[in-house]
Amino acid sequence: MGGRSLLWGKQTYRWSDLDFEANAKDGNGVDWPIRYKDIKPWYTYVEKFAGISGEAMNLPQLPDSHFLPPMEMNCVEKHIKGRIEKEFSDRNMIIGRCAHLTQPHNGRGQCQNRNRCSRGCPYGAYFSSNAVTLPPANASGNLTIRPYSIVQSLIYDEAKEKVTGVRIIDSETNEAIEYSSKIIFVNASTLSTTQILLNSKSSRFENGLGNDSGELGHNLMDHTYRVGAMGKVAGFDDKYYKGRRPNGIYIPRYVNIDENSKSDKFVRGFGFQGEGFRGGNPANIESFGADYKDSILKPGPWEFFITGFAECLPYHDNQVTLNGDVLDKWGQPTLSIDAEFKANEKALNKQIQEDAVEMLQKVGLKDILGFDKEHPPGYGVHEMGTARMGRDPKTSVLNDFNQVHAAKNVFVTDGACMTSSSCVNPSLTYMALTARAANHAVSELKKLNF
Amino acid sequence: MPSLLSLFQSCKTESRLDWQPAFLKEEEVKTISALLDMILPRTETPGALDVKADMFIDKVFAETYDITGQKNIRAEIATFNADCKKNFGAIFTDLNEADRTKVLQEAETTSEKFNPGIWGVSLGKQKPIGFYRSMKSMAIWAYFTSEEMGKKVLSYDPIPGNYDPCKPLSGVGNRWSL
Repeated sequence: MGGRSLLWGKQTYRWSDLDFEANAKDGNGVDWPIRYKDIKPWYTYVEKFAGISGEAMNLPQLPDSHFLPPMEMNCVEKHIKGRIEKEFSDRNMIIGRCAHLTQPHNGRGQCQNRNRCSRGCPYGAYFSSNAVTLPPANASGNLTIRPYSIVQSLIYDEAKEKVTGVRIIDSETNEAIEYSSKIIFVNASTLSTTQILLNSKSSRFENGLGNDSGELGHNLMDHTYRVGAMGKVAGFDDKYYKGRRPNGIYIPRYVNIDENSKSDKFVRGFGFQGEGFRGGNPANIESFGADYKDSILKPGPWEFFITGFAECLPYHDNQVTLNGDVLDKWGQPTLSIDAEFKANEKALNKQIQEDAVEMLQKVGLKDILGFDKEHPPGYGVHEMGTARMGRDPKTSVLNDFNQVHAAKNVFVTDGACMTSSSCVNPSLTYMALTARAANHAVSELKKLNF
Repeated sequence: MPSLLSLFQSCKTESRLDWQPAFLKEEEVKTISALLDMILPRTETPGALDVKADMFIDKVFAETYDITGQKNIRAEIATFNADCKKNFGAIFTDLNEADRTKVLQEAETTSEKFNPGIWGVSLGKQKPIGFYRSMKSMAIWAYFTSEEMGKKVLSYDPIPGNYDPCKPLSGVGNRWSL
């Protein structure tokens, strides 16, 4: 229970209209059926509930959240921030905005800076379903959880012309069970959601539920990942830190955000995450013995790195399909993934590395190393798309309230719904879209529209 | 034919292990232990052998290396000793301190280094790390993660609470163990 909400990086950033208008402006993909003003109150709603820490900056391309106090930068990060902002007046370096509590909140404890998040937090200090949403859901008395359930498909009733429930396979007993429901939210995570929809075939939906457009499975995106630079920082040997802060620094997008920052090499943009820390590898020091041993008991040299995340365009060819030739242990078709980064993403990556090296050089770091692990899509673990929102049922799967166009009682609000990918971490946007869609579902239910 | 007395005397001079290795043979343990003791000797703080780094490393080989990995480490230890014999006339454990030092000094200058990394991932294309620096890295890992070093010698802070972003090193002392 908890899925990726237990393991995620907790970085949380709002989108702006720069992101929502991008497809319409440069002609890639289809237009989002919503704008920032539609989702803005829902960002605030989920941020007040989840607890998001950060510093308000009033940047148009990265709107502020409703914030808890920000975490702090260490001395090297503060020093580098000052130098970068002096050398590059169009750039900012901020502490990461993250779903960690910096003060007690709604009965949950504040972050103790252990950085053991992936073991589960005993304080509930970062946002996970387990710590934040499941407890109040359970307290409502309306929650039933059935783990060990593989959702095989949605049930489409041909006579009623609507989706009436889900079919599951018990993962331990292989028993097939059906559940009926008026409303279904398919939020199995991007690829699994689309796998379920593709696997939900009927004579009405021969190619998968909601796939009248033919776009289901297509327009898969991910952020590019592990491109940037690192270097050594001199002059802070007498400084250290206390605590293992589970957050780093962030450099918001500064390219293609206005006329002055327009690039002729690519569309869209990138942001950087990074960190300053005392690192080094004692095994590399060409020494051994008593003095060597005593010396490595002290912390290593200060290092600083920034690693970029670039937006990926929605390409029809980047897709997932069901593979009936390779079945899983429950006899279900597996998912084949066929995706690559193309010219625009490669151009963005090239700029990321050049800019990273240049920034570290300009602020006086030594032994600067640029890097690009040339990861294919998937490594960024921000996979999005394959059941996109859109204005036109002929070119999209979902409407402006995340309802499947042709089956309005089915909602998708996880990464699958995304029409474009921005360069910022997407989870906060999933949360806001989910709250907004759930609110809409309730109001439609009350109007007896389901 | 050796006399009974000379057999008895040779048994006394042979050191016996006081623990049962899970993977390494006795001769291999002696080589590894001698290496660990030279790289991280006891000073005013414990040495690698004081915190049983040799036992830990034997356990790592036994429980986490696959058949190929185990074959390779065995071959690397044998090659290391064969080179000592060729260059200095005896296997590592039979050399005097001065010659052992020369062996390690040579290994330091010829052994490939680890590439830098971020978030646990090595950057660039890592050239293969040879036996010496690989063992040195394992020694440091075993040493730093031992309970005695982690809790009593390095700075131990399991639940930091607040983050202090700019603490003078003099206020901390040794590196954090966690």
